[in-house]
Amino acid sequence: MEELDLLKKDWKKKENSFQQISEVDIYKMIHKESSSTVKWILILSILEVLIWSIVSIFYNSDEYLIKIHSEYLIQYFQVLTIVNYAVIALFIYLFYKSYISISTTTSTKKLMKAILRTRKTVQIYVWYNLAMIGIGMVIGMALAFNTNPEIQNMLQNDKVYYLTIAFCIVALAIVFGLFWLFYRLVYGMLLRKLLTNYKELKKIDL
Amino acid sequence: MNADLEKNFVAQLKENQNIIHKICRLYTNDADAHKDLFQEITIQLWKAFPKFRGDSKFSTWAYRVALNTAITLFRKSTRSIKTVDYEQHSYFIKQEDYNHEEEEQIKLMYKAVYQLNDIEKAVIFMYLEDKDYTEISETLGISEVNARVKMNRIKGKLKKILNP
Repeated sequence: MEELDLLKKDWKKKENSFQQISEVDIYKMIHKESSSTVKWILILSILEVLIWSIVSIFYNSDEYLIKIHSEYLIQYFQVLTIVNYAVIALFIYLFYKSYISISTTTSTKKLMKAILRTRKTVQIYVWYNLAMIGIGMVIGMALAFNTNPEIQNMLQNDKVYYLTIAFCIVALAIVFGLFWLFYRLVYGMLLRKLLTNYKELKKIDL
Repeated sequence: MNADLEKNFVAQLKENQNIIHKICRLYTNDADAHKDLFQEITIQLWKAFPKFRGDSKFSTWAYRVALNTAITLFRKSTRSIKTVDYEQHSYFIKQEDYNHEEEEQIKLMYKAVYQLNDIEKAVIFMYLEDKDYTEISETLGISEVNARVKMNRIKGKLKKILNP
């Protein structure tokens, strides 16, 4: 291809015509922060954990459980909380590990595979969080229906009872949908370009 | 120890910075984006430097990490092609005398290459750098045959862009 040869000629000719960056500037650069995708995934996941922790500090389920005379559930909830934090800690560790390993691979395809594995981890993490939210809400509602005297009084009426259940299901679906959308938007934005490039490489190799 | 490493790295990068500039030139379309990508590549290279064993040349190692950064980690690049900005493809390049007859054609060619996707740009970069297909296939992690096929397809694509 003639044009390509022309380009190559020009390419070679201009090889040494770039404005040179000084040693001082390179020093400055290596002390700056990276803006890479994987790093943002790491930051986001840590932020998320922080937000969930803050929510759980403000919302103390123990008091509520005592109020509705279900103290026996407290220890179950404590176990659940500990398990939850352990799982989240494991996820953060996984994110950190992939963040460290990703910056250095020299084969593009291997690198992308590694990053996409990170993406998979993120997805599992997101679904885990969503499942926890869902389970939490269902347990909360079931508890309220079965043990909260005020609500039980209110639900004597059959019509009110079914309406309330329907309302709860809709509310649950909306909250779930909002979270899903949020995760899709945030992580989707971060990973879209990467996925496009990976598909391109895979297409070549087929 | 760390200071030595830093000094060594900065000296080598300064010496070999043109290869990074060349990658930035293919993947960005204005001076700011060029600078941003150069910085991101520098950061990634510095992070990867402790693992650089010296079994290949610094420049070879650097361009591979740099390409991967451009393909996988860099987010800020502008996706749309700003024709006005691109008219002056000589950004970041010192003024030199041009052959005015070829100038226009070369300009169009750079513009066409800029429209390729990230992977195709990587192949073109290695082609322009006279890398052989073994090297191209190793860098991208695909087979040599596929690298050849890819190169031919890119040529076809460029032709289509130039003569629509």
